[in-house]
Amino acid sequence: MSAFREGFVEADGFRIRYMEAGQGPALVHLHGAGGLRLTPAHDLFAKQFRVIAFEMPGFGASPENTKTQSMPELAATMAAACGKLGLDRYNLMGTSFGGKAALWLASQQPERVTGLVLESPAAIRPEGGAPPPSSPEALSRLLYAYPERQPPAPAPDPAVLAKQQKLVSRLRGPNRDRDLETQLSQLKAPTLVVFGTRDRMIPPEMGHFYKELMPNCHLVFVYDAGHAIGAERPEAFVEVVADFLDRHEAFVISRTETVIHP
Amino acid sequence: MKVSFFETGRYVPPPGTPREWPVPSSAYDPEIGAGAYRAMIDRARLVEELGFDWISLSEHHYSPRILTPSPQLSAAFIAAHVKKIKIALLGPIVPQSNPIRIAEELAMLDTMAGGRLVVGLLRGTTNEYLTYDLNPKEARERADEGMELILKSWTEPQPFGWQGRYFQYRTVSVWPRPLQQPFPPTYALGISRESCELAARNKLGLGVSYGPFEVMAKSTNYYRQQAAQYGWEPGPDDIIYRANMILGETDAEAEKLYQERAGIAPFPVRAGLRDALLEADKRNVAGEARPANVGGVLPTTFVGGPDSIIDQIKRCRDEVGAGVLDLSLHPPGSGDVDALMSAIDLFGRKVLPHIREV
Repeated sequence: MSAFREGFVEADGFRIRYMEAGQGPALVHLHGAGGLRLTPAHDLFAKQFRVIAFEMPGFGASPENTKTQSMPELAATMAAACGKLGLDRYNLMGTSFGGKAALWLASQQPERVTGLVLESPAAIRPEGGAPPPSSPEALSRLLYAYPERQPPAPAPDPAVLAKQQKLVSRLRGPNRDRDLETQLSQLKAPTLVVFGTRDRMIPPEMGHFYKELMPNCHLVFVYDAGHAIGAERPEAFVEVVADFLDRHEAFVISRTETVIHP
Repeated sequence: MKVSFFETGRYVPPPGTPREWPVPSSAYDPEIGAGAYRAMIDRARLVEELGFDWISLSEHHYSPRILTPSPQLSAAFIAAHVKKIKIALLGPIVPQSNPIRIAEELAMLDTMAGGRLVVGLLRGTTNEYLTYDLNPKEARERADEGMELILKSWTEPQPFGWQGRYFQYRTVSVWPRPLQQPFPPTYALGISRESCELAARNKLGLGVSYGPFEVMAKSTNYYRQQAAQYGWEPGPDDIIYRANMILGETDAEAEKLYQERAGIAPFPVRAGLRDALLEADKRNVAGEARPANVGGVLPTTFVGGPDSIIDQIKRCRDEVGAGVLDLSLHPPGSGDVDALMSAIDLFGRKVLPHIREV
């Protein structure tokens, strides 16, 4: 992960941290409710894309965010941050909570988003779905199909967790967000929704709703991955996402060569 | 002239069923599907009784339009319910299947059906390649190799290995072998230079489909030329022409049906995907480049009352050289099963007796 460099950009009165690596078409990433954490998928993306992974205001080491009152506001702030970085048109990927922010951003600035990727999006959740738990152990069991295979991570700072949880609770919105869903039918950006088959945070069965609501949407399941697909099956995840961002709907046509002996 | 009825498992989609391929499976109604398969048997018995020579099946996926993703299963089902009509499997899509599995299943079918199987080996239409993630650029070569491997597995007496380009087996020894020895009447299906050459080289029949007579004739002529180079001459039974036919009691009635149905594509594909598929899959007619049919309308080359149809069939025999007509009867895809049954009956009574000597 050493290739990633830290940067900061000012937008909407926030000083927003981001990690950047790679060259090629821009790929902007908005993280999930746990904050920015680089995964092996980021490294793989950086081989083909200029990856800009933001830490949204109020997450991680940034000051508590009491200003942002809604997901559309957060999306507008992140769009402004992209503008400040000089990004005119870019691919946008949102993970879980960040998937909802990405959908709002794409609705607000359709001309900017060339391709949209939603990794385990939390924009449509089952009725009765509870917010994510706060204990790191419980969270790890929901994030990963195989928590024991993940590299050890430093224990999260309880103050950071509390600050983030307050913000997430305020912004996450209802399980079925009618305001957002009415926007989706207008959203023409080529969109790829990706779920792990062993996601315990958001049931992968939520995937079909996006396809039904959005005119240009594709749905892919990554076998044996949990909620954090990019951490658990990075090669499989990056291959299909990169192919989609390259070819959009034509990505359904196989380019796999199967010659055994020429 | 021999006549084959092309059985598509007519699923009658309720109004409002999406048409774009692939059709979401949530639109499928299991009860309608069960009825469609039961009706296959009714039609098989009817066409057998009327004296049709074959009933044919094809492989299509992800759509209500032709409800036979496994034509081998349809063939087994039908074979168990009829006595003398031949079952023509036209055909499994070879490049996206395991050729040994195809060879085994077809040998089983021929044996179970008492030696009444006819085999067509198919490269497949472009959209179908998405079904099993086949790279369209490899389809031709995988088809050619798979077809030759199937023939080899039916004829080689000892266990053998296959060191192909696309397929590799260290040992092949297929049981059962087909009842018809060395193998059932077999056709390469297609109008391309490669299909014609493969058929000629292996002394197979050729099956062409849907295009106007003059276009089909380019392929059948090329096939005959190639066969001559290999020192043999195909007979009328060696050429199948599959076509849409709209038969009415009168020319006017048929013309009216034609006008209602002619512009409807069987497997519409959205524009962006269609363009990408056309780019990936280059086709030809007997060597002349032409785009694949991706999501387009299929021509209907027989339209009329019985007398006109008889004339058109004579012309087809003369121009295309086909000795077997494989008919998709009545407005294909109309979902009007009663009208289809009437058209079959009309064909059996008013057309079939007059084309035997053609």
